[in-house]
Amino acid sequence: MSLQSISHGEQVPVLSVRGLTKTFGGVTAIDDVSFDVPLGSVTALIGPNGAGKTTIFNLISNIFSCDRGEVFFQGRRLNGMKSVDIATLGLIRTFQSARVFAGMTALEDVMVGSHRLTSHHGGSQVLWLPQARREERRIRARAREMLELVGLSRFEDMHAAELPMGVQKLLEVTRALMAHPTLLCLDEPAAGLNPRESAELNNLLLAIRDQNAISILLIEHDMSVVMEISDHVVVLDYGVKIADGAPREIRDNPKVIAAYLGVADQDVAKVEAEVGL
Amino acid sequence: MWQFIQICVGGAIVGSIYAVIALGFSLVFRVTGAINLSQGGFAIVAAMISHTLGVQFGWPLPAAIPSAVALTVCLGLVLGKFTFVPALQRLSNANVLMLTAGLLTMIEGFVLVVWGSQPYALPPFSGEAPLVLGPIRIATQAFWVFGATSLCFAGLWFLVIRTKLGRALRACAENPDAARLMGIDVSRMTLLSFGLATLIAAIAGVTVAPVTTLQFDTGSLFTISGFIAAVIGGISSFPGAIVGGLFLGLATHLATAYVSSLFSTAIALLVLLGVLVLRPNGFLQSPLKGRQDNKEPARSHGFIGQPRAGVAQISACLALVIALILPMVISDNGILSGIVIAGILFLALMGLDVLMGYAGQVSLGQAGFMAIGGYTAGYLSINYDLPPVAGIFVGIVLSILCALVLSIVTLRLRGLYLALATLTFGLLIDSCAVGFIDLTGGPSGLVGIPSFSVAGYEFSSPQSMYYVVLGIDIVVLVALFGAMRAGFGRALKAIRTDQLAAAALGVNVLRYKLVAFLISAALASLSGSLYAFFFNFLSPEMVGTARSLEFVAMLVIGGEGTLLGSLCGGLLLTMLPTIFQPLAIYKTFVSGALLVGSFLYLPEGLFGAAMRLVVRFSKRKRHEPGPSGKAWADLTP
Repeated sequence: MSLQSISHGEQVPVLSVRGLTKTFGGVTAIDDVSFDVPLGSVTALIGPNGAGKTTIFNLISNIFSCDRGEVFFQGRRLNGMKSVDIATLGLIRTFQSARVFAGMTALEDVMVGSHRLTSHHGGSQVLWLPQARREERRIRARAREMLELVGLSRFEDMHAAELPMGVQKLLEVTRALMAHPTLLCLDEPAAGLNPRESAELNNLLLAIRDQNAISILLIEHDMSVVMEISDHVVVLDYGVKIADGAPREIRDNPKVIAAYLGVADQDVAKVEAEVGL
Repeated sequence: MWQFIQICVGGAIVGSIYAVIALGFSLVFRVTGAINLSQGGFAIVAAMISHTLGVQFGWPLPAAIPSAVALTVCLGLVLGKFTFVPALQRLSNANVLMLTAGLLTMIEGFVLVVWGSQPYALPPFSGEAPLVLGPIRIATQAFWVFGATSLCFAGLWFLVIRTKLGRALRACAENPDAARLMGIDVSRMTLLSFGLATLIAAIAGVTVAPVTTLQFDTGSLFTISGFIAAVIGGISSFPGAIVGGLFLGLATHLATAYVSSLFSTAIALLVLLGVLVLRPNGFLQSPLKGRQDNKEPARSHGFIGQPRAGVAQISACLALVIALILPMVISDNGILSGIVIAGILFLALMGLDVLMGYAGQVSLGQAGFMAIGGYTAGYLSINYDLPPVAGIFVGIVLSILCALVLSIVTLRLRGLYLALATLTFGLLIDSCAVGFIDLTGGPSGLVGIPSFSVAGYEFSSPQSMYYVVLGIDIVVLVALFGAMRAGFGRALKAIRTDQLAAAALGVNVLRYKLVAFLISAALASLSGSLYAFFFNFLSPEMVGTARSLEFVAMLVIGGEGTLLGSLCGGLLLTMLPTIFQPLAIYKTFVSGALLVGSFLYLPEGLFGAAMRLVVRFSKRKRHEPGPSGKAWADLTP
């Protein structure tokens, strides 16, 4: 396994995907894909459009069930579990298009993220007992802190669904962080962000990584972002894993360049020369 | 044997009418993805107009009937243009369904105002003498009905499958945005489908008028039966509509003849629930699978925000003081009774708000639980002298058990199927209330229910009942306010917008939906029991499907997702006819019109709009021009 060569190889991976296969109709969307997300790492999942990146996310969170293969999260087999239970275990994902909750303020939206951490004493909530009130205050304070951290404090009281797209995407990441995940799966968090927001997001992800508290699996298109923040890259093309390794190795891998530029392997050198690589 | 055939012919006549209405459902659904419940109403309007023209004005039938159909279609086009078409662009499909329920109420109210509540019948088109085939007698009108059904089916099929216009209609169904880009005027196609549905409903109305008696509320029956037929057959399939309609007609007629007339509807409804569980896409599945989910995401949700804590607390104290001294100020017992009724209904409305406003689950069968609560408490206190409080408790337990059974069906359903399943439940309870005469007193109602009493003290006057209801309302309101502003309410709101995203954060969607459903059932049951104790009487129409629709109207007019909003809606619709007695006949029309108007122009409801103003006002005082999303977008390069 090529994984063992990278720096985090000696630790138990937080997520490990083994031989994942999924067909839609006659089309094999994901074909025998295996990779690991080392503990505390930022792992980027990259590939051209239609490579099957989001499908992998949907298979991990069991929105689709896979045809073959296994997914392990901290050593637990996820196959056949419900999305809810996977989230409750601490594997939290975001979606490609921002999915904020309409009819809530930005603050409330982030507070929903704490759902898996709160005690569910419906009775004490109905009676509005001190215990429920304390918990509510605690969640509210933490949600404010998270918004502060991401730099969204000024939107606190505004209707989440009416915020600009870029802010909504950041809000979704904040909400996922609020859940205090063990593994955070981000589906193109930078898509739809303007350069400034994108830079803020990168800083946030770097800060998370530096604290080493949360492992991140990231789908990303922008190679400069991938190179800057990830320490492990998995490349997919047409549902097949074509490369897996440190960012630098990936950048120089002819197969990856071919996949991105759309040329056959033997022509890569020629194309590289033409574009001045 | 001959009798069997005779019954089948009768069933086929009624079934044909259901089939034609179902065709209308199918057509509108194929083009817009929404359900148009107003069709049965148009059938009645057409029949009423043709009666006026043909019988009262003495026009010959060949002139009266086409004129009536044409007038009805004009009415349909106008209503469609100003309500249905704009609604489709603004509302989720589940809300469009409610809006058309409002249209239906409005049309029924209109018929009630113009033609009154007495039944009408047209003379048969080709003479009274039936066709005699040996021992079987078939009214000649039956052939008109069968002919009209075949004509509608063939015409629609030709139009949709074979013509260029039909292709445009189908394109709107598949993907309205892409169709728009291809130069198809989607609004016009929507209006066209609405108009065509009105046309076939009108044809159904005038051809069936001679064989049944029609009155203002027959429209609901036609709509509901047509809807059921459409779902049994497969909602987007034309042949399915015919099969479903005939099946439903035959099943109800055979059940009436061989089992019991009182349970014929119940049997049809059980069949429907079975179909929903086992074959949710109907007998004849169409290639347009998943169509209803295309536009599932709700497009608009009222956002109100929270007022400053001080503002809320002061208004709450003020409201409490007013509520406490109100009975001392109001001397008119009629008005006070109206307020007590609104307060009792408010309990059910809060439950419905948790279910619909917060969790986003449509329910058109809320009155069913009210009936369970009311009849249980009433029956037990009449026959077993059970104290009212115990009766209320038994009713709630029974309602929760029924809700658990029903939830097996409803939890997996969304949008229009959920609306249909809850509607079916309401109708089922309705027909049981009529059918189980020994328990419920049947159509004439359960009489002699004692007044509410606790430990020997009887609350028989409106004044005393007022304070009982006020107390219960406040307890329930405060409890729900607590739950709705904490994690429970947030989880429900998250489910309302996006079940997938909610599940991805660890919100157990099914469990929360179930809890919301049980809360709403328990509160409706409590409301029903109190209602029965207050009136000392309960009849099926007091807690029938009309009441369920009225609940939806009250909630939407007042404002969903605010808890207090429904009180405004409830008070408005209860008090208006009490205060303006001579105008009571307009009540149905006005409540329908208000429902439609609120959906279109005041999506956050009366209370929501008022709250919004308060919030805006109190916010502005705190920090001046708060940063808006727009300003942020402008700042960035």
